[in-house]
Formats: sequence, structure tokens, C-alpha cells
Amino acid sequence: MQDIVITGMGVVAPPGIGTADFWHHVQEGRSFVSPITRFDSSLYPSRIAGQVNGLESYKNGFSARLLKKVDLFSHMALVTSDLALKDAKIDLRNFNLHRTGIFMGNTLGGWLFAETELRDLYLEGRDGVSPYMASAWFPAAPQGQISIFYGIKGYSKTVVADRAGSLMAIAYGARTLERGKLDLVLAGGTEAPVTPYALLCCNTYDFLSRKNDTPENAYAPFDKNRDGLVVAEGAGILTLERLHDAQRRNAPLYARICSFYTNCDGYDRVAFEPDGTSLAVAIEEALKEAGFDKDSVDYICSDGAATASGDISETRAIKKVFGRRAKEIPVSAPKSMFGNMLGAQGSVDIITTVLSMMYGTICPTINYKNPDPECDLDYVPNKAQRKDIKRALVISRGRGGINAVMALERIGNNLITGKNNEEGRYVS
Amino acid sequence: MSVEQGVRELIIEILSVQPEEIKMEEKLSDSLGVDSTEMVNVILALEKKFDLHINDKQITKISSLRDIITLIESKRAAA
Repeated sequence: MQDIVITGMGVVAPPGIGTADFWHHVQEGRSFVSPITRFDSSLYPSRIAGQVNGLESYKNGFSARLLKKVDLFSHMALVTSDLALKDAKIDLRNFNLHRTGIFMGNTLGGWLFAETELRDLYLEGRDGVSPYMASAWFPAAPQGQISIFYGIKGYSKTVVADRAGSLMAIAYGARTLERGKLDLVLAGGTEAPVTPYALLCCNTYDFLSRKNDTPENAYAPFDKNRDGLVVAEGAGILTLERLHDAQRRNAPLYARICSFYTNCDGYDRVAFEPDGTSLAVAIEEALKEAGFDKDSVDYICSDGAATASGDISETRAIKKVFGRRAKEIPVSAPKSMFGNMLGAQGSVDIITTVLSMMYGTICPTINYKNPDPECDLDYVPNKAQRKDIKRALVISRGRGGINAVMALERIGNNLITGKNNEEGRYVS
Repeated sequence: MSVEQGVRELIIEILSVQPEEIKMEEKLSDSLGVDSTEMVNVILALEKKFDLHINDKQITKISSLRDIITLIESKRAAA
């Protein structure tokens, strides 16, 4: 990929709203997973999640009237877009809105809104259903709401590809920029799985941790005693531009998106391909397109499914590609701290990785206590590590064997120097 | 409660707008930026509040507060 750069980042996540708040918390290596309080989940096998707090306090033009018409996943996407645009110092009046596009990932849709309307449908008939349902529930609703709020009119897409959705959305956005069809892209994902029906769907698939009594220890990727992931609500959105356009307007230059590759395991409905062959091919292809020498990869942000099938196949794929050097590359799953945002996770992983590049600090995989002989890489256990990262890979995988890999590179010496204080927290 | 007062209260509640924003003669789409789903929501609420039915043909003819009040009063007079 030629000179597509990240110029702005917005995040709404359990550890914080906005990149400063988010980064301040994720480097601490502690958990933001807690029991679900939004509804009675006592009969669910998994009833813990990463939940967003304080969203309603972010106003900025998002009126009560607008919020009545949208689901939580659109609300988070609107706030996150605003954060990204501000971070990028973008005034949309200076952009051609026909050449500005939106690319979003999402898995489940807007069930918090939809569930109450379906209940009313069965209790009261069709007249009981809010007309707002029409534009609130479906996976592309956040794309629509962002476009309406800002008057954005360019080529846009929503990708539904389970946990790989937002990485794909960012890649399609970057490729569209590369082809010259757009000048500015907002790309990322949003997900709101903490609703009765959405959580039921995730539970039914049987990939969620049941460590309900110890939520802070529940999400344990690569640990021998893992028992699945923990879902989280949240959103991550980037602004993408061509390098020369970004330089012309003195935009922040966070990182370059160097390549993307996606393929399928073609193996099983639930389990990943055991030897990780297809994921290895995806990593190889991403490295090839990026022009990265294997020795130059400083960090891998893993999918970290916290299932035996996911963790072992991901580890094998990395070993297949990097050989002996695999054990020297830090491979972490920062999402172990706050949960997996499914269709938004790839975008939040990109943001975490870019912040890691900027601050020279790798966020850890927490809850790593019992090594699994099948998973023998450096997973950056439990505590953040200082490391200079110039080149990194982000891996997202979805149910049914979807693999997605993106390569990123820091631009120049865009590095914020500082040190960790006595509590291990980074201070500049 | 007059029809006008009832309609005003309903619009304020459904659209989360201030009383002074509602203009008698202007199109709701112009004065309040009402979109099609909001208009359907207003009509469903009017039907419930005033216990009447507004058919599709009538919906296309109401665009201002005055239109709504006139329609409701004519329906009440005909009942």
C-alpha cells in the first residue's frame, strides 16, 4: 500500500473515552472487565463484560433528539468519529464531502434498540414498533448516522466479518484512498454486545469465558487455563489520508498502513485450522506487500481468542512464518484487559498498536499465569514492556475461519519519550 | 386541553424541542428539521393521543402545526 497514513484516532472503550484516557489506563496492565449491570444476566453462562462508562457526558452536538433515534452502537460511533476528527485537526468544511468516505466494521447490529421494539411488536402489534427502528438496528446504521451528522457523501461501506470486520473496513478504506476515489476516510468499527439478545447469541456460540466470579481474571489468552474470551462494547475510528495530502495540511502523522491481507481457513464452522497454515499465508502476504523483512517486525498485536483452537493455531502460524525468531517477537493481546469488541476490535487493536509505537511501550497480555506448552511465544505477560517499535502486525480472526492481517509502520521518529514511574505507569 | 396545546406538548415530547421552536405556519421539516421517521412517530402518537386514524393520503397533506390542528379538529367535528 502506498503512503496511506493514520492522521487521527478516536476510541470509546471500557478503559476510557479518547486516546489519552484509554492509553493512560491500558498501560497499567489491569482489568476493566466486570459483572453485567445493564440487565439481569444471572441465567447466562457468561455474564461479564467490558462496559463503557460516561458516554452520555460527551455531548458535542449529539442532541437528546438524535440519541432517541439511534442505538448505542451508533452513539458510540458518532462520539468516536468526533474524537478522531478532532484528533486529526480536521474541519470538514475544508474537505470535499463527496470525496470523504466512511468504512465501518460491525458484527451484531443494534440490539439494545431492536430488542425492545421486537418485544413491543409481539405485545402491541406493528403499531407498537417505533419508526426509528427502521434506521436504528442494522449493521450499516452507524455508517448512515455518521454520514448524516456530518453530511459526508462519498464512497462508503460497512463490513460484517465477525471479529475481523473493522480491520477489513480500515483496509478497504485505505485501498479506496490509494485508488484516488476519496481524499479522506473515516474507518473503524463499533459494537454493542452487552444486550440480552446479543449476549445470548455470543453465549450460544460457546466461546465466552465462564469465570463469572472473577471477572478481572476471566480473559486469559494463551494461558493454559483459558476458557474463552469476554465480550466488550466500544468503538474505534481512524482518519486516513494520503501522505502528501496529510503533509500539506500539517496533519498529525501517527503511522503508515503498509499492507493488508485476508483469507479463509476453509476448515470448520467453529474451530480454527489447527496448524494455522492459512493464517501463516495471510501473514506472509501482508509482509510481502508491505516490503517488511521478517527480521524487522518489532511487535505483533494478536487476535488472542483465548480458546485452545484460536491460541494454538495463532501461535503455530506465527512460528511457521518467523521460525526461530518467533520467540523473540513480543506478541500481546491488550484486549485481555477490557474484553473483545468483536466487529470493533481490529480498529481498537490498531489504535493500541499505534499508541505503543508512539510511547515505546507494549501493552501486556494480562491473566497469563499458567504457561501452555503449545503456546510458547513472548506474550508480554501481565506487565507493560518498554520497547522501540517501528514495524508491527495486527491480527484479527473471525468465526468460520476468517483471517485478517494488517502491517503498520511508525513514521519517522514520531516517538514520545518518557519513562515508567514506580507504579509501572508511563509518564512523559 | 385545546387541540393546539395537546399537539404542541406531543411534539415537544417526541422531538425533544423547545416550545418556542414550534412555528404555527411553517413546515415541521423546515422549522424543526423533522425527518420522515420522526413524522411517522408524531403521527402514531397523535393517533393514540386523540384516538383517531390518519390515513396515508392525509399524512401527505400535513406538514405544519396548523395542518395537524386543522386535520384533528375536522376529524373530531365529523365524528
